[in-house]
Amino acid sequence: MDEEPERTKRWEGGYERTWEVLKEDESGSLKATVEDILFKDKRKRVFENYGQVRLGMMRHLFVVIDTSRTMEDQDLKPNRLTSTLKLMEYFVDEYFDQNPISQIGIIITKNKRAEKLTDLAGEFSPRRITAVWLLKHFSDSFCAGSSISHGWPRLKQSVSNRHMPGHTSREVLVIFSSLTTCDPSNIYDLIKTLKGLKIRVSVIGLSAEVRVCTILTRETGGTYHVILDETHFRELLTFHVKPPPASSSSECSLIRMGFPQHAIASVSDQDSKPSFSMSHLDNSSGPGLTLGGYYCPQCRAKYTELPVECKVCGLTLVSAPHLARSFHHLFPMDAFQEMPLEEFEGERFCEACQGELKDKSVFICSVCSSAFCVECDLFIHDTLHCCPSCIHSQSTS
Amino acid sequence: MKLNIEGLLVYFPYDYIYPEQYSYMQELKRTLDAKGHGVLEMPSGTGKTISLLSLIVAYQRAYPLEVTKLIYCSRTVPEIEKVVEELRKLMEFYAKETGETNKLLALALSSRKNLCVHPEVSSLRFGKEVDGKCHSLTASYIRAQRHSNPSQPICHFFEEFDALGRQVPIPPGIYNLDDLKAFGRRKGWCPYYLARYSILHANIVVYSYHYLLDPKIADLVSKELAKKSVVVFDEAHNIDNVCIDSMSVNLTRRTLDRSQANVETLQNTIQRIKEIDAAKLKEEYRRLVEGLKEANVARETDIYLSNPVLPDEILQEAVPGSIRTAEHFVGFMKRLLEYLKSRLRIQHVVQESSPQFLKDIYEKVCIDRKPLRFCAERLRSLLRTLEITDIADFSPITLISHFATLVSTYSKGFTIIIEPFEDKTPTIANPVLHFSCMDPSIAIKPVFERFQSVIITSGTLSPLDIYPRILDFRPVTMSSFTMTLARTCLCPLIVGRGNDQVAISSKFETREDFAVIRNYGNLLLELSGIVPDGIVAFFTSYIYMENIVASWYEQGILENIQRNKLIFIETPDAAETSMALEKYQEACENGRGAILLSVARGKVSEGIDFVHHYGRAVIMFGVPYVYTQSRILKARLEYLRDQFQIRENDFLTFDAMRHAAQCVGRAIRGKTDYGLMIFADKRYARADKRGKLPRWIQEHISDGSLNLTIDETVQLSKHFLRQMAQPFRREDQLGLSLLTLDQLQSEETLQRIAQIAQQV
Repeated sequence: MDEEPERTKRWEGGYERTWEVLKEDESGSLKATVEDILFKDKRKRVFENYGQVRLGMMRHLFVVIDTSRTMEDQDLKPNRLTSTLKLMEYFVDEYFDQNPISQIGIIITKNKRAEKLTDLAGEFSPRRITAVWLLKHFSDSFCAGSSISHGWPRLKQSVSNRHMPGHTSREVLVIFSSLTTCDPSNIYDLIKTLKGLKIRVSVIGLSAEVRVCTILTRETGGTYHVILDETHFRELLTFHVKPPPASSSSECSLIRMGFPQHAIASVSDQDSKPSFSMSHLDNSSGPGLTLGGYYCPQCRAKYTELPVECKVCGLTLVSAPHLARSFHHLFPMDAFQEMPLEEFEGERFCEACQGELKDKSVFICSVCSSAFCVECDLFIHDTLHCCPSCIHSQSTS
Repeated sequence: MKLNIEGLLVYFPYDYIYPEQYSYMQELKRTLDAKGHGVLEMPSGTGKTISLLSLIVAYQRAYPLEVTKLIYCSRTVPEIEKVVEELRKLMEFYAKETGETNKLLALALSSRKNLCVHPEVSSLRFGKEVDGKCHSLTASYIRAQRHSNPSQPICHFFEEFDALGRQVPIPPGIYNLDDLKAFGRRKGWCPYYLARYSILHANIVVYSYHYLLDPKIADLVSKELAKKSVVVFDEAHNIDNVCIDSMSVNLTRRTLDRSQANVETLQNTIQRIKEIDAAKLKEEYRRLVEGLKEANVARETDIYLSNPVLPDEILQEAVPGSIRTAEHFVGFMKRLLEYLKSRLRIQHVVQESSPQFLKDIYEKVCIDRKPLRFCAERLRSLLRTLEITDIADFSPITLISHFATLVSTYSKGFTIIIEPFEDKTPTIANPVLHFSCMDPSIAIKPVFERFQSVIITSGTLSPLDIYPRILDFRPVTMSSFTMTLARTCLCPLIVGRGNDQVAISSKFETREDFAVIRNYGNLLLELSGIVPDGIVAFFTSYIYMENIVASWYEQGILENIQRNKLIFIETPDAAETSMALEKYQEACENGRGAILLSVARGKVSEGIDFVHHYGRAVIMFGVPYVYTQSRILKARLEYLRDQFQIRENDFLTFDAMRHAAQCVGRAIRGKTDYGLMIFADKRYARADKRGKLPRWIQEHISDGSLNLTIDETVQLSKHFLRQMAQPFRREDQLGLSLLTLDQLQSEETLQRIAQIAQQV
């Protein structure tokens, strides 16, 4: 919340018609309506996620980032690519914060082919991806066309290579900047295949609504959004941080989990020997020998990061704090009730930020009936996951 | 839902209604109440057809004596089918709501080609062939011959229909073309003749314009339709051109040569008949002396729709003696042909009026005006007497006879232009005689006079007041309806300058200008980068498009555009165009994105809809003025000025703007659709042009978007496209641009609805 993106300087902005913003909108014209719709959307997000639904807690998410020529476009500052990178850092952070037992992988598409930047993995430093990526990116020049579908064979390969347990959700999030796709084969067959594999595809468009994406997301049960500006982009990304409702067809199963302890061997200890982490065996790029690590309680294989699925015995290895952090998704907070400001009786101050309630509606907690403004409502539901005044009253009693 | 429109109970087969539909029905009801004619403009995609049908059907049920029949004229077969489907929906709703079975008979009528079920005849490909073959199997004398010669082939479908079909009327219901065919097959009746016979007692008839406007066809089909009918012309923005085309005749040397052959055949046949059956010719002679009294009686009793080709005076007289006998008539035709041939042997352009032509023909070959007028009737009678089976072969001579009758009947409203060559190819001799009608009111006059109410409606009829003037009638209602929108889903922008500040325009003086062409190219290039899926670009003419595209190719612009989208081009060839169109849609469908380059007034601009992703942007390069150097046009403009006090410029602008509106209107086909409308010409910003756009487009052009540069256009478009890509649900529309029954009854809504219609 602290890094509210700074509004771009006037002279940096594109051709704007500032005088038109000042126009009164009584005729139901564009600006007011769209803002109204967006406001409703903000609320919708809160509503949608707070039913009693099963959520796919163990997520396997691939982010496909289109790095075609259109990424050079400067409508996001300084350009779409840099802006996307910045937001992706934020996204990966948030993602692991909210879904500690999930995994993420990144694929970039360019020059009519797709490249897997990182495979599905548990927690890793987002800084690292970006660095790798930037390096790669600047050594190549931008490509001509972009393609979503070239990402798929790659994706399918990685998805099917790994054994995916039935209870995990398989998701793809496409950041789609271009307006065209070049496909070697019929894209509709591909959509069918994805549907068959139960992969949920969501798309965030950076420029405009493309028909094929609409169909793609509709068929696979994902969502399709087009950004308005950078703030909206961030909002949309945040939307994908939350685990989506699990599809009814995914299996329910009890999962065996291991909780390995982090053994730290000091250098001074003569007995300790540096050893390889199992997860770095197949890719040479990672660091080699380390001293300490997590040891699988079942087979004693060593890993440097959690959560991970043990390569030797297939046990899911997590740490207790991870599970605890996912906990709130299971017992979500009820949505606050919306009430028009005129009908609200009581002091017109938000219980949380103490600001004056100025929007046309206020939000009431159904338990302690305190009033909040829309921003705090979102903050409470998105970040805190508990009502501050409820907790306050609990501690006093 | 059930609506109460000023005291009339209207069943409307949907749960929701657009406010403008309600308003439209109100206006329509007023027109019917006043028993007058109406001109109504409502944007496409707002449910014109269903509003029309619901109201008129309701009116028919409420006042069965006031309105007996609805005649719905549409342009193409798919549109006819669409109307029938809407009607079916309406009738199902009626059946559900009232519980009674439907007593209405509604049917579509089309040509033999679309209705024939005869296994051999229906396999023919061209309409003319089907007509000719059908005639050769069903003509009365063929069937008479059958009695003496059983091996004579006849159509048993027609025989069955003739024997039984007239006694038992077709059961009530809704019949589209396929239903008619299925019914015909089941019963073994000819669907075409069944339909033609049934329209006399059908409650609703859906057919093409020509059945009412083309005098040759109207005479056969629509003659006996009841006077208390309501006639609707849908998509009527080009109705004046249809009227003019139906009355105009073009004669080439080829027509004349073929007529010559026809005359020879006639002569031989007469010779042969004379030897074997002279009595027949005598009988014909006797009939001609009696004259066309029958037709006259019928017209006086007001049973028939009058035929403008057959004016009143002719009916009262007998066929003149000079062409009464068959030989004389053939001789007469020969002289006429020779005269026409001599007229076509010219080196320079000739333009003259009908009286001048008549005077000349009298002086040169001694043909009087009177026999000329009877030419068409006389030829028809002769063909009947001679039992010619293959009518299609005689179309050239029939054309000549029509020409002769028209030229001698009308001294005003027509002009004769003889051109030795086409304008495009001045070196190749290809003489043409244009007998061109300049007054659309001649063809449509009988319709206005005969029927109680005639409704002219379309998505683009602006400016409304010009239609009553050029069609010469007095409407009781003239209204334009806007589209109520929950979000502004259309974005008309007028691009007047390039980024280099050079004014862009397709004006004759600047159209070859390198900078203008480059700027047009840049505009398309920039837009191809930001508009998703499909873009349709319209040029003013094929030649202009060729020039520009060639120039873009040289400048490398085309190559850059192709990086963003595929390019397809409309050509004058129909097969090629439909192929291009199909591929274009495929490219839009699978995300490759495409641009369709087409021409205003072409096939694409008139009949094809670009719904949703098929047309996210329409670009109109230049103002689509009609080719002003054409002599026919010049003559027409002059006539309009003299007769209707319409200035040349007004008419040209009106014509250009209605086509521009047609083109850009292709993009928006409903309220959930959205699209950019880009007018790339400086001249659109001028009030006289802008003011002639339909109201529903005009009101979205803000003063700020009048003279944009390409850069500004791109910024605005980008913004617009992003706004439109935000989720849009039905709930957002409810109450604003979509109403439930409850909402419709509230006072506030009714007040708002009252503002939608703008009376002119």
